[in-house]
Amino acid sequence: MNYQAIRAAVESPLLTAFNNLSPAVPVYFDNITAVPPNTTTEYVRVNVTFGITNEPTLVTSVDNVRGAIVIRVFTEKGRGPARNQELIDTAFTVLNTLNNTGKPSTGVFFRVGDINGPSFSATDQSPHFVGRIDTGYVATDLS
Amino acid sequence: MAKGLNDAMFRAIRRDLRESVTGAVRVAAVEIMNDLAKAGPAYSGAFSSAWYAVPPGQEPGGPRSEGSIYKYDLRNVPRGKFTRGSYFEIVNGASYAPQALDLEEGVFISQLDVDGEVIEPVKTPTSIGKRTGKRRGNVEAGTGFAVSTAPLDWYVNYTSGGSMTRALEQGVKIGFRDGPFGGRGGSARGFG
Repeated sequence: MNYQAIRAAVESPLLTAFNNLSPAVPVYFDNITAVPPNTTTEYVRVNVTFGITNEPTLVTSVDNVRGAIVIRVFTEKGRGPARNQELIDTAFTVLNTLNNTGKPSTGVFFRVGDINGPSFSATDQSPHFVGRIDTGYVATDLS
Repeated sequence: MAKGLNDAMFRAIRRDLRESVTGAVRVAAVEIMNDLAKAGPAYSGAFSSAWYAVPPGQEPGGPRSEGSIYKYDLRNVPRGKFTRGSYFEIVNGASYAPQALDLEEGVFISQLDVDGEVIEPVKTPTSIGKRTGKRRGNVEAGTGFAVSTAPLDWYVNYTSGGSMTRALEQGVKIGFRDGPFGGRGGSARGFG
């Protein structure tokens, strides 16, 4: 199972989308801890988790991976939700585009499920206003 | 067929069907709660013991025990709770559930005993080291004493990543098998 290709299928378009904004917004993925502590700079955190690999069916065993994607957007606290929602919309658009992409003959066929959120939160301890969306996904390894 | 016999047959089928559905729902709830207890964080074990299957609107209780990862069985999902239908919610009654589910940020402190020694968690940690954020699972290898006993976003991964669907399928399969229509539980009483 090509987990790296599955991860890249969702991480690459997200990175491209946020890099293309002006100014670009940094995106941090799993196992990257470069977020400066207590920074007020806006950034995006993407966590991709794997749930179930390989689903037996009546005729064969399909290389399906199921998992979840959590996208958190951190923007400055006390300035209203508009900027956060703009960035959430960028993430949402990327996920939606994944669902509108045709099935390739090789590689990874990626589909997301219902997108939950956005939900917003802010705490006294953090300088950020946090927006969050999450969804489940199914990725089929066609190679 | 006489109308009286028809009515009796339908009543029996309805009764057996209701019993099967309730049984399947209870088994599925147990499967899911055991999965959640195992997949989620367990330091003292209290959070793992605070899952409840309740009818909508009903408040859950608090943690049941500490010292180990709690194991659920059908006694935790009493049949009497589902007399008005088989619709239920699985909720955690711990006061810090939003933080444990990685839905909210929190403040985390080391668990020390009376002598100031770090208390060992009941579950093998997934990461030990430095805290990298204000969410429960924001712990990565490095200098520090932060402990996380479940990966970040474990709950979303369980509910959206396919595992809950599988547990539900398994529970319903077992529940129906052991019910009046199954091979084990009974003889389809209405026709015995």
